[in-house]
Amino acid sequence: MSPKSFNISPLTRISGLLSVNVVFDNGMIIDALASSTMFRGFEWAMKNRHVTDAVYMTQRVCGICSLAHGAVSSYLLDELYDNEISETAQLLRNIMYAADFLQNHLRHFYIFSIPDFVQMPQTMPFHCQDLEDLRLTPEQTQRIIPHVAEAIKAAQKAHEILTVFGGKAPHQHSFLHGGVAVAPTVDKLTRASFLLQEIQAFVKQCLIPDTQLLADVYQDYFHIGNTPRRLLSFGLFRFGPKNEKLLWRSGVLDEANIPTVPDLSLIQEDVETSWFTKKSGEGQQLSPSPRKPGAYTWVKTVKYAGQCFQVGPLARMIITGRYAGGTSTMDRIVARSQETMLLTELMHDWLTQIQPSETPPLTQNSVLVKQQATFPTDAMRGALLHSVRLEGEHVAEYNIITPTVWNFSARDASGNHSPVEDALIGTTISRDSLLNTTVGRIVRSFDPCISCATH
Amino acid sequence: MDWEAFLAFCRKNRASNTQQITETVLPAVSQFLAHTGQPKLPVIWLETNDSGDNNIAFMNSTYPYAEQVFANMIDLLYSNTFMAAQGEDALQILFAAAEQYKGEFTLVVEGAIPTKDDGLYCVIAQTPTHRITALEAVQWLGSLAKHVVAVGTCASFGGPTSAEPNITSSVGVSAVLTREVIHVSGCPVNPDWFVGTLAHLMMYGMPELDELGRPALFFENTVHRHCQRRSYFDKKDYAEQLGDEKCMFSLGCMGPRTHADCPYRQWINYVNWPVRANTPCIGCTTPNFPDGSAPFFTPLPQKRPGQAPQDSPAEKESPP
Repeated sequence: MSPKSFNISPLTRISGLLSVNVVFDNGMIIDALASSTMFRGFEWAMKNRHVTDAVYMTQRVCGICSLAHGAVSSYLLDELYDNEISETAQLLRNIMYAADFLQNHLRHFYIFSIPDFVQMPQTMPFHCQDLEDLRLTPEQTQRIIPHVAEAIKAAQKAHEILTVFGGKAPHQHSFLHGGVAVAPTVDKLTRASFLLQEIQAFVKQCLIPDTQLLADVYQDYFHIGNTPRRLLSFGLFRFGPKNEKLLWRSGVLDEANIPTVPDLSLIQEDVETSWFTKKSGEGQQLSPSPRKPGAYTWVKTVKYAGQCFQVGPLARMIITGRYAGGTSTMDRIVARSQETMLLTELMHDWLTQIQPSETPPLTQNSVLVKQQATFPTDAMRGALLHSVRLEGEHVAEYNIITPTVWNFSARDASGNHSPVEDALIGTTISRDSLLNTTVGRIVRSFDPCISCATH
Repeated sequence: MDWEAFLAFCRKNRASNTQQITETVLPAVSQFLAHTGQPKLPVIWLETNDSGDNNIAFMNSTYPYAEQVFANMIDLLYSNTFMAAQGEDALQILFAAAEQYKGEFTLVVEGAIPTKDDGLYCVIAQTPTHRITALEAVQWLGSLAKHVVAVGTCASFGGPTSAEPNITSSVGVSAVLTREVIHVSGCPVNPDWFVGTLAHLMMYGMPELDELGRPALFFENTVHRHCQRRSYFDKKDYAEQLGDEKCMFSLGCMGPRTHADCPYRQWINYVNWPVRANTPCIGCTTPNFPDGSAPFFTPLPQKRPGQAPQDSPAEKESPP
């Protein structure tokens, strides 16, 4: 039999628009292309704007991880204005940040991922679900299904915590350069604590056992969708008056078992197989080119020291020594759920530590001390980086590298693959009818965000 | 529930008794469905070029929660975000639904429509031989739908996707259709505005729209008019810095030019909104957002010349 090509398009239940093409031969995926098919041009839209508009503008890159963009823009501005961040603001920022993580992880697991593994009620929007390879017993299915509705409520509560302090969600207003514009008054802290308790109970009683159940029943997925063990994290939860401390360390993990600190100068972006052409002349002048021959995605290629790296909760958990497993589909799912539990515990501690106050913890300097800055942090899906060059108070150049750029990079000229394409290639599938399901499970385990990746 | 009662109910919704919506509206909807024998509102939801914030906003709906909307109000035939099916199956569902519910379904579009290079900057699905662009899909489905709802500011007016220099030549949905489009703007949309519009369509048909095509029920007044800090404005007591509990006009507030009910409806289970969070309203429901609001922290009269939208001919709250 000659190789056959399959399109999974649209690959639904993710953020944004994605098509995946796989070449299937002799029971094995021998090639895969992950094609991100939307492009807006945020790096162009950022030019000439006042630099303080970056927090609200860049949040519009992404709906599901919007605060992450606002946060990294704020860190960037803190550096440009040399702000001092008060202890209260540090705690409050991280409470808000973690709340947005909870919302993301819960929605990913229950709304996007569960229909890959569990038979849903045959009502819309779950009609015509692919029923191949759904392995739970009717009792197990009965137990999990009501959790989907509860997860919708729990994720809403996570955004309610964010909104109590942030004004709205997504695209919050108060986490800005210099701190947070809302005071952590006792009523707000109390409301947040009780909301968190309910979320935490859900995570303990539903998310963790449900994840365990999937891990037990779909054990083979600990061997499906493996990537090379090259993992990267920029670290998570910034503390210190200059955002200089990280609660969860950053790291590059290659073949070595000890992670090293990432050197940002080793990051390189390219557009060989992306829908962009390079203009001649100085600088990195790109122009979008949706008919470029040989190109297949709006995501650029990003590499660290010449190689592709996987980012996300699994990378964070392994780099910080909290997870000992491999780099498979199920490892990514399990690590994300375990991280969710840890986040609720951290938030609990921070809400206990924070001193109630009626003064917003915000001090914004008004004089720029730098004209250029680069800031890395981890977001929900992994390593996120914003960098800016100014002319006066206005943006001359703004560059964004999101987590899904790392995981869904366009392949390079020599055919080196992104983590997601690597995870797909080499997968054996016993019958054609399992192809859709298997590809969907592998791809979704990365929690792709295509709006972010293409921006 | 009669139409006037429904409108009155939507208008006066407050934080004090959020359960009331579920308790009042859902039984009314069920009763309506039972009484008329009508099916739920059939909906095809297309995601085009935005940040996905509007489907997140929908998931933040409380009373009814998203799953209650699915169970009681709409039949979500197609949605890139929510449907279980994927790939070829999903595309077949879209084609079949468009045919079967022709003239009946409500088309919801989330995101702007790029028009440059034949719309190739947004492809909703690709077959081995063809990239189905958002432009194509919206024009095709827009011609078959009973109602078209643009959800969010990108779909309504272009929004951040069409921000200068708009290298993809993106526009709002109505710019690529020749029919009426309901603009439920907001960046993101407030879930009440969206779910309330769907409820109105299902039970009473077209809602009354303002001159910009937005449901008057949610967008008839300016933010400024109902702002809790209006008394500070009237006394010219302006905030000096972000975080001050005073009028945010001095820090770029777009409230006087922005039509939305944020001050009394608020966000995410009705707990807060931007001005209450001691920051300016940035006018995210306006047709020129974000460029017309930029720079965000510069007072209205000094924003970029010619950019500030005059979206209300009857504007009465001009700054002093």
